[in-house]
Amino acid sequence: MILSRQKPAVGGASALVREKEKSKEKKLPKVDDLLTSRDYTGAMTVLEFNKQAGKGEKDTDSWIGFCAFHLGDYKKAYEMYMNLCKQPGCDANMWLNFSCCCFYLGMYKEAEDAALKAPKSSLQNRLLFHLSHKFNDEKRLMTFHKNLQDQFEDQLCLASIHYMRSHYQESIDVYKRILLENREFLALNVYVALCYYKLDYYDVSQEVLAVYLQSYPDSAIAVNLKACNHFKLFNGKAAEAELKHLQEISSSSFSFASELVKHNLVVFRSGEGALQVLPPLIDVIPEARLNLVIYYLRQDDLDEAYGLIKETDPTSPQEYIIKAVVNAALGQERGSREHVKIAQQYFQMFGSSASECDTIPGRQCMASCFFLLKQFDDVLIYLNSIKSYFYNDDVFNFNYAQAKATTGNFKEAEEVFLLVQSEKIKNDYVYLSWLARSYIMNKKARLAWELYLKMETSGESFSLLQMIANDCYKMGQFYISAKAFDVLERLDPNPEYWEGKRGACVGLFQLIIAGQEPRETLREVLMLLRNSTNPQVEYIARVIKKWGKENRVAV
Amino acid sequence: INQHYDESLDVNDSEEVASLYTPTPRKPSPGIVTPERPIERGGPAPPPLNRMSSQQSPSDDLDFDEQEHLGEGQMDRKLSQPPPSGKNIDLNEESEDSDVSSDDEDEDDDNMVGLEGAYDPADYEHLTVSQEIKELFQYITRYTPQSIELEHKLKPFNPDFIPAVGDIDAFLKVPRPDNKPVTLGLTVLDEPCAKQSDPTVLDLQLRSISKTSGVRAMQVRSVKDADRNPKAIDTWVESMADLHRSKPPPNVHYSKSMPEIDHLMQEWPREVEELLQKISLPTAQLDCDLPKYCDIICSLLDIPVYKNRIQSLHVLFSLYSAFKQMQHFQTDNVQE
Repeated sequence: MILSRQKPAVGGASALVREKEKSKEKKLPKVDDLLTSRDYTGAMTVLEFNKQAGKGEKDTDSWIGFCAFHLGDYKKAYEMYMNLCKQPGCDANMWLNFSCCCFYLGMYKEAEDAALKAPKSSLQNRLLFHLSHKFNDEKRLMTFHKNLQDQFEDQLCLASIHYMRSHYQESIDVYKRILLENREFLALNVYVALCYYKLDYYDVSQEVLAVYLQSYPDSAIAVNLKACNHFKLFNGKAAEAELKHLQEISSSSFSFASELVKHNLVVFRSGEGALQVLPPLIDVIPEARLNLVIYYLRQDDLDEAYGLIKETDPTSPQEYIIKAVVNAALGQERGSREHVKIAQQYFQMFGSSASECDTIPGRQCMASCFFLLKQFDDVLIYLNSIKSYFYNDDVFNFNYAQAKATTGNFKEAEEVFLLVQSEKIKNDYVYLSWLARSYIMNKKARLAWELYLKMETSGESFSLLQMIANDCYKMGQFYISAKAFDVLERLDPNPEYWEGKRGACVGLFQLIIAGQEPRETLREVLMLLRNSTNPQVEYIARVIKKWGKENRVAV
Repeated sequence: INQHYDESLDVNDSEEVASLYTPTPRKPSPGIVTPERPIERGGPAPPPLNRMSSQQSPSDDLDFDEQEHLGEGQMDRKLSQPPPSGKNIDLNEESEDSDVSSDDEDEDDDNMVGLEGAYDPADYEHLTVSQEIKELFQYITRYTPQSIELEHKLKPFNPDFIPAVGDIDAFLKVPRPDNKPVTLGLTVLDEPCAKQSDPTVLDLQLRSISKTSGVRAMQVRSVKDADRNPKAIDTWVESMADLHRSKPPPNVHYSKSMPEIDHLMQEWPREVEELLQKISLPTAQLDCDLPKYCDIICSLLDIPVYKNRIQSLHVLFSLYSAFKQMQHFQTDNVQE
């Protein structure tokens, strides 16, 4: 038996709900309430409704502009304020509002013109301060810097300039100082978290961010930052889950930061949908261009990658790294010394910078720089220091093994080469030739020979053959050396190949006498010799046969 | 496949190969096999794990043009620092080249000696063989194997995708028109809340409350990618249902007298019911025009038709709606 039923069985719940809603919806929503809850879409709808109904007041347009601006609909705000500025007898301060919209729309020249039409004020100074930063005008930047006053807005504005200029610690100092006396300024925690994120302190960022999220769990900016921290600390999946949650709790008319979210979803899904999402975001979100380049790099589309990045002058660390990588890939592909040189310089600038010299990418850059300079001892110093992070990384192992082999450590080179899984790398001539050399130096010439046999006949296979013939000779691996010289001689009847083959055959004979090769190989020595038409063949064969007879080896 | 060790070799092919690729080792100077950089620094120290205090070394040649773009700032300081462990990178191309060639000469003689496990004729001097064979052995050292330089290829590492976090509030914001102070960006981030009103729904609500509808045309929005956005559609349907529920039910005043719906809902006479077991009511397939069909159906259901069919049809559909809402018929439907 249930004595506590609340929903009436007859009459229906809908009647109850209807009553509730009636009381709720009968009154007109107040603009002020909507503004307090930051429901700018709602506020704007009410304002526009009133305006249409002829109940608008004289500053209704100004309010609509305010709402549009804080909603992030800068285009609409721009239009509203433009009309307001055109009206006769408008307040000159209106130009500042217009200037703010221009600023967010990336129309910096218009923003400056508009700001200068307004009387002096702290907002005007802040605008001009940021605009000088955009124009790279250091002198004016300093002037406006001096005009900043000891008030929250000005100090926070300064902190944001520090952030824009990658001086994150300075920003944090400003925020912490203000926070110390104004605990209620919760938003500053997010700013601090953003700085820590940029400084790669993702766990600290996460901690500071939590303070804000506790009060505002639906903040798009904060949730996005949390997702990015998760991406760095864990993986794309964890990050995606955060953004998904944000999409679930937000209403369909909520579009603030939607570009950021779309962009980051591509990032978190390792580039999925990059071609649909990223191109329109180029020069809107600074990272979009770089991510598209990274996407093309991963697709081995060097032309597209280079086309996107060639015009940009690197300023951020990521830009340096990506320009370096594109130039390195392109330079080696095209054999362009110019590109390689640029790559090497950018690698060095990034890798030797104070902030990056101890990071993994920083060391990857230094190793790459030295690799391009062919200073392989130095390559190894850097790669050794980060190798534990890249045990299964084909690209890393490919470079690492080359450096090992070049510095003479063929044993480890062979091991590392064999860790490579990618078929593309394994069919690369550089891989094949260095692995073959490592085999030979490790006295496994037969494995090198097998690599050669598996290759299609080409200029590269001919080069490999020469390398095998000569390297084996050096290492006293005369059996394979003789076989290789034999093929070389038949491909190109050059007397030098005969000399190599003659020496290798005699060397093999010596090994047989020393008991280091099976005596049955003697028959093959004679066969190899007889492939040549040189008159010396007969004499050498006679001596060898004679020894065979004396030692009872069937030939 | 290079299985051309046996005699079956295509001669044309081989000539082609040979002519296209003149053997590289013919050059008198052999390349580098194990390039050891001339030691100009005291042994490479591996980079320590903590911040490396970079030895100051003259690195004026690190002055790249690019630094100018950075302005004076941290990046400058960062990038003009010499590489860790104080190594000098020679950025001068010429000297790099001369470095390499001097390396070549250095290694020319110790090429064979330096190689671990290289062939050494001395290892075989102890073999007791005839003079004839001993002479033959000299052929081994008569050929000097070429040192073949292999190309290197740096596969640049794959940079990770970079998430975007956006910038920090710069306090470049429009003030309230009434100039009341705002705490946007201080106590709360200056961003709209996630639960924004739906402008269309709100507009309809405003119309229904203020009773000023008809002032202007409605703005009709559409749902983007509706097939992939069921949430938006559900929300819309729900809010519309709410809106209409809160409205008073519409009243229609008939100009001519119409029977009560309850009256119309009464059972048919027994004979009709029995007949309907055998034949069904005429469907819309009936060969007549629509007005005629309406008249037939209305008369079947005892709905009077006057000059204007609209009002009769309204009664017809109200009747249908009443039946539909009856529990009795709903369960019937389920059973069917």
